Amino acid sequence: MENAAPAEGAVPVGGGWRFLIQPRWLGWHVLMAVSFWGMLWLGDWQLHRALAGNALSWAYTFEWPLFAGFAVVFWVKTIRDEFRIKRGDNPGGTYGEPEDLPFGVRAVQSGAGPAEDEDEELSVYNAYLARLNAEVKDHGRWHGLR
Amino acid sequence: MTVLEAAVLRYRVMAYVTGVVLVVLCFVGIPLQVAGHPAVANNVGVVHGILYIIYLAFAWILSRKLQLANKPTVIMLLAGTVPIMTFIVERWVTRRFISPALAGQAQTAEPVRP
Repeated sequence: MENAAPAEGAVPVGGGWRFLIQPRWLGWHVLMAVSFWGMLWLGDWQLHRALAGNALSWAYTFEWPLFAGFAVVFWVKTIRDEFRIKRGDNPGGTYGEPEDLPFGVRAVQSGAGPAEDEDEELSVYNAYLARLNAEVKDHGRWHGLR
Repeated sequence: MTVLEAAVLRYRVMAYVTGVVLVVLCFVGIPLQVAGHPAVANNVGVVHGILYIIYLAFAWILSRKLQLANKPTVIMLLAGTVPIMTFIVERWVTRRFISPALAGQAQTAEPVRP
């Protein structure tokens, strides 16, 4: 299931899929596989409870496989997005930023910084960005910033 | 309202609704169930299950729009299963990701580059 993702789409020349076998990603693959089979197992357990006469379990009998399906769909799309980001076209359109910059930094830094930008809201935002940038310089990815 | 703002609103509404229902389930339903009255826990439990499915969808859509990495995405999705946690995570996500994204959007709305 998770392994189906690297096969699809145009994989960039030079083995662009290799990030998928980095330890961090392997950890995510394992987590996804365990949660997928775990949720199917929970659905099976609820099915047996439902068949044994627990009417309430019917709801959960259908819910757990749905969650398991969500996990697969989310995972496949996450990996597809990752490929797209690596190729350079951002799926998020205008919200996207280059990989080496924290979110939202480019829009401000790319400007020449006109003098009339000195309104309070903007300077608060700039201070926030500066703090965020310093904070996440090395481990930004781990905290959710690409 | 932009696409991002709409996604944020959907996520926020579901975070609070799911959070409130889960608090009722855990702090009213479960004690009553232990006391021998399982009706509240049973009904609220099913309602929370359905709401959580919707929460999952909206939270995930927002996480894609914000281009979050895997860890905060998983935290956002699982928050709907832990009592109180949706409120905490919603505040964290707002401070950490949503506010900068909306501010960045306001910046790009008026292009500063030639």
